Amino acid sequence: MSSSDSNSSSVDDPNPNPKPLDNQLETLNLEQGSDSIIIQNDDDEEGRQQDQGSSLNGSLNVNSDNHEQDDRIGLVRNVVWRRTNSEMEVDVNGPSSPSSSGYAGERGSSGVSEDDEIQEVAKDSALHGVFDSQAAWLPGKRHVDEVFSVNMKRKREKQAIIISQSLNSFDLVPSIAITEDDASISWRKRKKHFFILSHSGKPIYSRYGDEHKLAGFSATLQAIISFVENGGDRVKLVRAGKHQVVFLVKGPIYLVCISCTEEPYESLRGQLELIYGQMILILTKSVNRCFEKNPKFDMTPLLGGTDVVFSSLIHSFSWNPATFLHAYTCLPLAYGTRQAAGAILHDVADSGVLFAILMCKHKVVSLVGAQKASLHPDDMLLLSNFIMSSESFRQVKLTFIRLLSFHSFLSLLVPLFITIESLLVMGGSIALKSALPHLSPKRTSESFSPICLPRYNPMAFLYAYVHYLDVDTYLMLLTTSSDAFYHLKDCRIRIEMVLLKSNVLSEVQRSMLDGEMHVEDLPGDPLSRFGSASHLGEHQEPTDSPGRFREPFAGIGGPAGLWHFIYRSIYLEQYVSSEFSAPINSPQQQKRLYRAYQKIYASMHDNGNGPHKTQFRRDENYVLLCWVTPDFELYAAFDPLADKGLAIKTCNRVCQWVKDVENEIFLLGASPFSW
Amino acid sequence: MGMATANSGGSEGMELCIFDLRRGQQEGQELDKILFFFPADLPFSTQLSVIGLSEGLITFTRIFSPEAACELIEAERHSHVFYEAEPDIWMVMVVEKSKEAEAIWRIDALREVLKEIHSLFMMFYGPVREMLEKDPSGGLTRAHLYPFVMDYLSDFLVGKKTQLPSFRDCLKEFGTVQMLTVGREAAIEVQSLVRVLESGAGATHCYSLILFQDLLVSTTLSPDDTINLFAYAVQRLSPRALSPGASSWSYLRRGSTPSHVVVGPTSATVSVSDQFHHLPATSPSQDNSYHVKRPLQHNRWSKGKDGFLVTDIWGTETGSLIPSTPTIWLQQTGERMYLCAYQYKSLTLILLVPLSSILNGEQGVSLVKQQVLENVRIEGIFPMHVISVENCLSYYTEGLANITYNAPASFSSLHYFITFVETNVTEASLKILKVEEKLSKGWGGENAYHVSGYRYLLIDDDRNVSRASPPAKVTTLAKESLLAMSKLREEVDLEKSRSKWDNADRDKDLEICIRVKNNAWVIARTTRGKQLYMVLERANETLLYASDAFEKFSDRYCGGAFSLD
Repeated sequence: MSSSDSNSSSVDDPNPNPKPLDNQLETLNLEQGSDSIIIQNDDDEEGRQQDQGSSLNGSLNVNSDNHEQDDRIGLVRNVVWRRTNSEMEVDVNGPSSPSSSGYAGERGSSGVSEDDEIQEVAKDSALHGVFDSQAAWLPGKRHVDEVFSVNMKRKREKQAIIISQSLNSFDLVPSIAITEDDASISWRKRKKHFFILSHSGKPIYSRYGDEHKLAGFSATLQAIISFVENGGDRVKLVRAGKHQVVFLVKGPIYLVCISCTEEPYESLRGQLELIYGQMILILTKSVNRCFEKNPKFDMTPLLGGTDVVFSSLIHSFSWNPATFLHAYTCLPLAYGTRQAAGAILHDVADSGVLFAILMCKHKVVSLVGAQKASLHPDDMLLLSNFIMSSESFRQVKLTFIRLLSFHSFLSLLVPLFITIESLLVMGGSIALKSALPHLSPKRTSESFSPICLPRYNPMAFLYAYVHYLDVDTYLMLLTTSSDAFYHLKDCRIRIEMVLLKSNVLSEVQRSMLDGEMHVEDLPGDPLSRFGSASHLGEHQEPTDSPGRFREPFAGIGGPAGLWHFIYRSIYLEQYVSSEFSAPINSPQQQKRLYRAYQKIYASMHDNGNGPHKTQFRRDENYVLLCWVTPDFELYAAFDPLADKGLAIKTCNRVCQWVKDVENEIFLLGASPFSW
Repeated sequence: MGMATANSGGSEGMELCIFDLRRGQQEGQELDKILFFFPADLPFSTQLSVIGLSEGLITFTRIFSPEAACELIEAERHSHVFYEAEPDIWMVMVVEKSKEAEAIWRIDALREVLKEIHSLFMMFYGPVREMLEKDPSGGLTRAHLYPFVMDYLSDFLVGKKTQLPSFRDCLKEFGTVQMLTVGREAAIEVQSLVRVLESGAGATHCYSLILFQDLLVSTTLSPDDTINLFAYAVQRLSPRALSPGASSWSYLRRGSTPSHVVVGPTSATVSVSDQFHHLPATSPSQDNSYHVKRPLQHNRWSKGKDGFLVTDIWGTETGSLIPSTPTIWLQQTGERMYLCAYQYKSLTLILLVPLSSILNGEQGVSLVKQQVLENVRIEGIFPMHVISVENCLSYYTEGLANITYNAPASFSSLHYFITFVETNVTEASLKILKVEEKLSKGWGGENAYHVSGYRYLLIDDDRNVSRASPPAKVTTLAKESLLAMSKLREEVDLEKSRSKWDNADRDKDLEICIRVKNNAWVIARTTRGKQLYMVLERANETLLYASDAFEKFSDRYCGGAFSLD
């Protein structure tokens, strides 16, 4: 299961990466006054951590923690948690960033619906009309009316008010004003709700609305679950019209999704599993002990401020194929480049590093694991989501060493962050704003945080040293030792030097610009390569001339009406997804295609009966072809009017094409360390 | 096998309840909600908890989905299938799932069972709500529902187990009618027989339904009423249903699994009757003060000397030994009709005559029967028909009618008034013989609709008609193929219900071909109100081959309805 692999290969990004973060970063405007108010235009995650957590003056001695990873309590006990006002303000300020608030807080947000508007507007401006599916997403809770027309000034004024209110209340961040509850029509009309609650019915998380106002609703969910449980059964799904209510019970934690998105049950359930995994990543499964001691235990404080992590994950359910493929994707890179990156990661892995992972956004550049340690793709997804959605990992700070906790007072299980910022904040902000090439020395930040990999060991914490090498590229070094910070820092310095010398980072940048495979580039001439025995195969030899598949217009899709494809290598646990091309341009179209893939995936991987071998599906939107072999799975989308025979040939060519370039798009070959 | 239930109800592995949300609102009166519960010997607390959960989820789901409340609860071990039969009157079936026992269900098929129970109930007794209003205590309704549903369920019992439609029945469609394909010539014969029948009854609003074996030949009823009456006829009136030793659930219902067959149909029926028909004395609904007719009771119909089917289900007319003629209620017109069924060999003719048109009860009915057979002319009762020249001539040549040429000025010269007169005394009987003979000749037997190499199900939603491979052929399919088809049908069911909620005026066009692990192809295609499902087990491995095979079938047997171009 663990994804493995070691060598390099390169892939283009299937989807435009989620840009919200970046955009946000770029647009971030740091105004450092004595009060250090940061005005963020978007809801980004910037400064989220700060926001959420009360920042602590770090009296905590990290090194003192012992490695009993699951024992957070010991860790935190000695810490004196103190919130600094200045930090609070900073956090709070992200005036327009709902997400920043996302962290902190939903709870007690005094905000009114206006707040929402504010945030929305802010985000809007931040996004600058950048629209890819990810870009359209705003972290943090969603609001009722997404009004973009409010003018910024007004918002800022209001925001200021909100901020002060939120300061007065204990909440750290006003994030989004959450006015909805189960009585509001807008709330009921949400297309997709996610809830986490405890077995006693206490709300832990809700995607929309204030958890605390949803206590009654939460109790209802709990009643349904336990009612069925008392009858000796376990409820999985309730269907009503277009709505599905999906339940997942994980010990004392209940997860529920209520959706009218037409996603298959299996997909929704998989999403709940991931949400649970994300929670475990933050807290470990030892949180169950708290419920053993006290069934009415209130878990919300432990997750305080992590709202944005969940909302980012939930957002990825509508654009990131990794969430249902259970595979990860690599950034396309020349074989040698990836090798170079792998080699240096490999070196440090010798020295007590469990996993060394170099990623750019959600794509893997290289990855090495210590002997016998294997990393499950779902863990990678959750880990990278956690890192990318938590601004604190990339934040720029004046403070030298700071420990942050997501929420202090009950923080027995709370992750800690050490952020070491050595450099100039102002410079940093400028760098962010202008999105300068990576590695501006000013932007370095490093964090050391306990995390748990649910598929690796759900009971124990590992420690993640995270360092952003540039806006999108980050290095994660995972260890079991809680006092390895300085060692990992040294490792990182070594790695960074090698990466710089070998130009890996600039190659990464370039690859990001180039994107993934483009269907328009599908090479012609299938003749020589495929026997007629191929499974999808046609009877007759293709009669088309090689050049025939080249469409006259670039960007109009590939040959034979090919619009998009995803290829998943089963052995490597990796996938490659082509760049979206016309007519799959808008985020809505991309999301719809994503959902169609999700559906066909669920249909192919029918429980107990699957996987099937081939599926052809034509509806009013697409022709979808899916082909599952012991080695790979191919999902391809065509024009709904596409000819079946040609589509089949084209799929064969896509497979060949992928094989031809596999050492660039995949991380190949067994490194001695991995799997 | 694996059908153990958590409940004390025994080995059925199934619970079925009917309840009224408008009743029992007060605390402590919850029992009043329950109109029917199977198994009846479950403790009330258990019954209440099933209903409580159902009610709770109906309320809960309305928060998000006011337009469609709970339809299904899937739990690990059970599926709860909901059907709102009438406003606030719900039917919920709880089935146990079990892989070993092959208890793998397609939800919509189960819901069709609920629908059929309700529609048949309505056909005999009218809407449940009306019955409740007639007797607000609910006693009347319970007294009717209990034996009715139990009789209905007995058809699904094999041994002690309820064999509901499972994945093995994925190439069948409940709630539809199976038609006999007849040639043009036979069709004309049938048509004229229908005319003779309906006119012979002498009343203005007669309807008729003609079956050959278990297949529908002709109907003049509305689609909904046709489905109900057809279902009843197949279950209780068809030659197969009447002949002792044969299962009454021939085409649609009979379990096709070898394991089901182990228990001989006869013995099953008998033991079922024993078990079911001695309704438990503890049954809450047993109340001797109500005289309840049980139209679904087994072995209560037989063929009389005159060829008409008789039953004592409806009792006898007071003061005589003549059994009362059954009556049914038509959904479309809300009218109550006498049901007269005549059988000749494989042919079953059902004639519905309005109660209102026959004043003197049974006497009148037997007169009508006689008329139908003898087609005796009775002055003044025959309706005047306005028909085209063509039909006019054909009637004339067949000796069915005298034609009067004095057409009024308001009619075009091509139309004539005719009256049916002077026909031979045995004309109608002769006609029946003729039709039966023609249909028998054209009938290919049980495997008439088998298409070699294909296992298929064709559904016409607009006409509520389906046709499928013969059950015996479907049983040759591998379990894997059937499971995959069942699953595929669920997918299509979901898509269809979604498009229903999207207010799409028609189903989306959808084509799905799946190559299953065992290399069979399972194919579904929906288009313009039609659905075609197909399993190809010995097909070539390519998708193109499977598609070709599909297209050929469509062209040849479906008039190209599913062909792409």
